[in-house]
Amino acid sequence: MSYDIFLGCVIPARLPFLEASGRKVFEKLGIKLNDIEGFSCCPDPTGIEQIDHKTWLTMGARNLSLSKRGNGSIISFCSGCVETLKGVNYFMNKDNKVKDEINKILKKIGKNYDGKTNVKHFAEVLYENLNKVKENIVKPLEGFKVAIHYGCHYLRPSEIINWDDPFDPITIDEIIKTLGAESIDYDLKMECCGNPVEKSDMDLSLLMIDNKFKSIQQSGANCVALVCPACFQQFDFKQRELNKKNNSNYKIPIFYLSELVALAFGYKPEELGLKFHRVQPKTLLESLQFSAKI
Amino acid sequence: MSVINFKLRNQVIKHNASLSYCYQCSTCSGGCPVALLTQGKYNPRKIIEMAILGLQNKLIKEPNSSIWLCSTCQKCVELCPQKVELTEIFTLLKNKIFEDGKVPEAFLLQGQAILDSGIAIPYSKAIISRREKLGLPEIKTAPIKEIKLLLKETNFENKILKGSK
Repeated sequence: MSYDIFLGCVIPARLPFLEASGRKVFEKLGIKLNDIEGFSCCPDPTGIEQIDHKTWLTMGARNLSLSKRGNGSIISFCSGCVETLKGVNYFMNKDNKVKDEINKILKKIGKNYDGKTNVKHFAEVLYENLNKVKENIVKPLEGFKVAIHYGCHYLRPSEIINWDDPFDPITIDEIIKTLGAESIDYDLKMECCGNPVEKSDMDLSLLMIDNKFKSIQQSGANCVALVCPACFQQFDFKQRELNKKNNSNYKIPIFYLSELVALAFGYKPEELGLKFHRVQPKTLLESLQFSAKI
Repeated sequence: MSVINFKLRNQVIKHNASLSYCYQCSTCSGGCPVALLTQGKYNPRKIIEMAILGLQNKLIKEPNSSIWLCSTCQKCVELCPQKVELTEIFTLLKNKIFEDGKVPEAFLLQGQAILDSGIAIPYSKAIISRREKLGLPEIKTAPIKEIKLLLKETNFENKILKGSK
């Protein structure tokens, strides 16, 4: 099995440690990730799409046209990229006029897109290979009480994402349980993290994540797992900001799903670059007997 | 003053016919996390109502339009009993505001980065060396000439220039 890896912007250019764990996990699973030259920004469904749908479609279609389409087409570690690429497929395949219009533009650079590149989120591929994941676990994540944050764009709009239930999802819960960790339910589990509104109202964005943290603290969880780099920044970067602003004392370690899988596969925290997290997971990892020379 | 502009309404319906299914039940606003936290300053039902009436001045011309507070969480789209595609309709309206040159600065900055480099976040020296330390490959992104050509075709470049003025 092999996929073309679409990295997008936030992960490789700001949070490369998330990419490191992702690549390690898929290597261990024997699923090859092909690096393709020439991808641009997906572009951002909460940014560029909101101001210029046609530019969003055009750049997205150009990216999709670059896939060499091994047996698995495109995989991405980012929920935003997945939403964009699945969305571009949706709009182009729904209306031939749109497809013709975009291809007329792509022709200027000698490209064409037929609407047939399949796109998958990395968590989708992990879920499909849950047995393989299980076989590779050498250090079950005992004691990890995980508050899962699915994030909006992993699930919705369901007509475009076409994966898991938009309000009552199970896939990441199943993966977390397979790793030997516990999934802790919390009141605001399905709420938006607030990252996209940071572009227009920072206070509102902070309020949204503050509410999530309060709910997570009440739940008894000792860490968070998520699958989107925008959510990761919101959860990991904003704790210090909130602590300064509100005199709160949040120190909730935030993990990317791929980092938790990698830890269960026996990778050491220092191999994964966990030291680059703003909220250091060191104390938690040590308390759970994960060597943490980070 | 609110002036009803059916041209705008018809443009929205032509783009997305689901606008006309709305019967103003407010399920969207009831399920919206931003409506709850802003005490209704952001109110998706109301934006749809304004689109049905074609209130161009309020929707497009007013600075600091509340429409930018949408978090694009897409809950409203899932919840709507009439299958109104709210987020798609809001996207069209925001696109029109962009054409008019009035979007929050963060959107323009992202747009400018795409114009300059084809990616939203340029690779800094520190990140390139961190990538090396993590054993990650060098990333070869899109030829900027290709991207610039496409963005000229979609008129994106001019719209960013207009917004930055």
